[in-house]
Amino acid sequence: MFNSEVSKSAFGKSVLAAALFAVSSFAFAADANGIGKTITEQAIAPWNISVHFDGDGLPAGKGSVAQGEPIYQAKCAMCHGEFGEGAKGYPKMLGETVEHMTELAKKGEDTVGVRGINSLWGHAPTLYDYIRRAMPFFAPQSLSNDEAYATTCYVLYIAEIVKDDKLVCDASVLKATKMPSQDNFYTDPRPDVKNARCMKDCAKGDPVVTQMAVQGVSGDTSRNVAKPANH
Amino acid sequence: MSDKNITVPVNIDEQAVANQTRRSFLRKSVAVAGGAVVAAVAANQASAAAQVTEPLAIPPTNKILGRGVVSIPYGLPSKFEAHVVRRNVEWLTPDTIASISFTPMQDLEGIITPSGLHFERHHGGAVDIDPKTHRLVVHGLVEKPMIFTIEDLKRFPQKSGFWFLECPANGAMEWNGVQMDSVQFTHGMVSCTEWVGVSLLDIMKAVGVKKEATWFFGEGADGAALQRSVPLPGAKDQFGKPISDFDANTIYKDIIVAYAQNGEALRPENGYPIRLIVPGCEANMSVKWLRRLKFVDKPLVTYQETRHYTDGMKDGRFRQYTLVNETNSVVTFPCPDKKMSGKGSYEIRGLAWSGRGKIKAVDVSVDGGKTWTEAKLVDPVFSKCFTRFTLPWEWDGKEALVMSRAMDETGYVQPTLKQLIDERGTSGIYHKNSIQTWKVSANGEVHNVQLRSL
Repeated sequence: MFNSEVSKSAFGKSVLAAALFAVSSFAFAADANGIGKTITEQAIAPWNISVHFDGDGLPAGKGSVAQGEPIYQAKCAMCHGEFGEGAKGYPKMLGETVEHMTELAKKGEDTVGVRGINSLWGHAPTLYDYIRRAMPFFAPQSLSNDEAYATTCYVLYIAEIVKDDKLVCDASVLKATKMPSQDNFYTDPRPDVKNARCMKDCAKGDPVVTQMAVQGVSGDTSRNVAKPANH
Repeated sequence: MSDKNITVPVNIDEQAVANQTRRSFLRKSVAVAGGAVVAAVAANQASAAAQVTEPLAIPPTNKILGRGVVSIPYGLPSKFEAHVVRRNVEWLTPDTIASISFTPMQDLEGIITPSGLHFERHHGGAVDIDPKTHRLVVHGLVEKPMIFTIEDLKRFPQKSGFWFLECPANGAMEWNGVQMDSVQFTHGMVSCTEWVGVSLLDIMKAVGVKKEATWFFGEGADGAALQRSVPLPGAKDQFGKPISDFDANTIYKDIIVAYAQNGEALRPENGYPIRLIVPGCEANMSVKWLRRLKFVDKPLVTYQETRHYTDGMKDGRFRQYTLVNETNSVVTFPCPDKKMSGKGSYEIRGLAWSGRGKIKAVDVSVDGGKTWTEAKLVDPVFSKCFTRFTLPWEWDGKEALVMSRAMDETGYVQPTLKQLIDERGTSGIYHKNSIQTWKVSANGEVHNVQLRSL
């Protein structure tokens, strides 16, 4: 037997640690003797760059809106727009406000194309995390911690989340910065719809077929990419 | 083998066949017995009375020697299958680095997606990683932070499974109406694979995960350094509300760190040398090029959990941690990519899958959802895996609206698009698992339509 199943009941209770280290009496039990090496947190540090929503994991350092401007204009503006308006199909930094986006949603209008950092990003510390780990797109993990603070600070400014152009961002400032959409999320309530398994006389009248090719493709898959249907 | 007379091209030279007029083609038709040659291109276009009478030509391949063994050391599909490829949609993403390609669902048989046809979703492009230098670090709320080589990981007991992976944006282009007239593009962000690797539970045991750990996250060694939080028992969101019982208490038990797919090492586009596999869940959670697992007591709420992979609702709020891909299905024959060729006998075929367990039943309608018939589920039927369904169909040559509706072992029945839109609106992007309708026209063409009346 491979004593690998951590049961639901055991999990989260004090017996867990004991269960995890339980030594099986079987000679062929699955232990990890000699597999892998232990490693110190100091050795992991260069990889341990994740920042939680509450700022846990933010490094020392700082950077200002003013310091972020030249970095953003040189390395970010070509995709996200000089003023954060987006470019070439890449995401906006400044989208519609949460209030306006919510109005659009309630009117049944599409909100996919209007989202910015100001309308859909829950926490400033994870904006720092993303910029440091994955931006600029063409040279990820090339910004120093201070440059990442400065760029984050500038993005918050052009996304109109912070108003002070003299702002200097560090861990405490990012933790204290409330994002406009922070409370606009809620955890998955699905299953949220309930269909019935009807077998006959299921639909009243004839089905109404709608065909609304907006920006679609033809069924021609002879090419390796889809082509618009409306040409 | 049936005794039905069918027509076959007398000359298998494709160009010669293509140059023939239909009349001369039929004149050259000859009588044969045997159903194995159903592939005959024009068989169904000939009248039912047509009979093959002309003696068959000897195929030229009967008169030559073929290639020797290992002339192609790693086998490839026939050159006649060159159209069976992943495809992308140019207007969908601004580049092909942070982008997606689609599996040709119309050409899949059985339940396994060949590794080279597995859909791709990269956030910073696919990278080539030397397994000799690659490492997996496991740390955080653990007794013993550890680092493993690929060889180390292969010493653990193996765990494998047949599981689908689906991007939750599968079908996302269709919320506001029909856009993609192809099953490759309406449903091709899903694939199914035999994955082989190490159970997360064994890794948790090796490092001694502490009881305070209620989440963990994986992180990639790619340019996106992609990370996603995965709940463990006791998981709560950033507001302190508990994650659902199913998500927190069952998802983690199936998870593996995979090093193989379909009998060989992972493909680079699928995370070589190792990736996380989180069965049933948004494929984004199955972090590719995995370099680190960290056990923590709260979610990250990272980019992939706030700006992306959250679902916009009609009240303006966003659902978060919509982890499970709910029951879905699609008819892959007929479909816009595989048209009908004359009335008569066919088999409707398709695929169904559920992130919550096994597929229990699939029903098929050809009248736009008025009446439904239970299809046959083809063995094997595995949990969180593609399930193939079939139903014989005698097509009368008239317009038909073909649909499939799957139900999983929890009793959840795949919804209609109207039900989803009524509940959520049309700006959700993700988790559009509604019933798909194909309109079969009298001329045999098949098109993507939506039935908003249902």
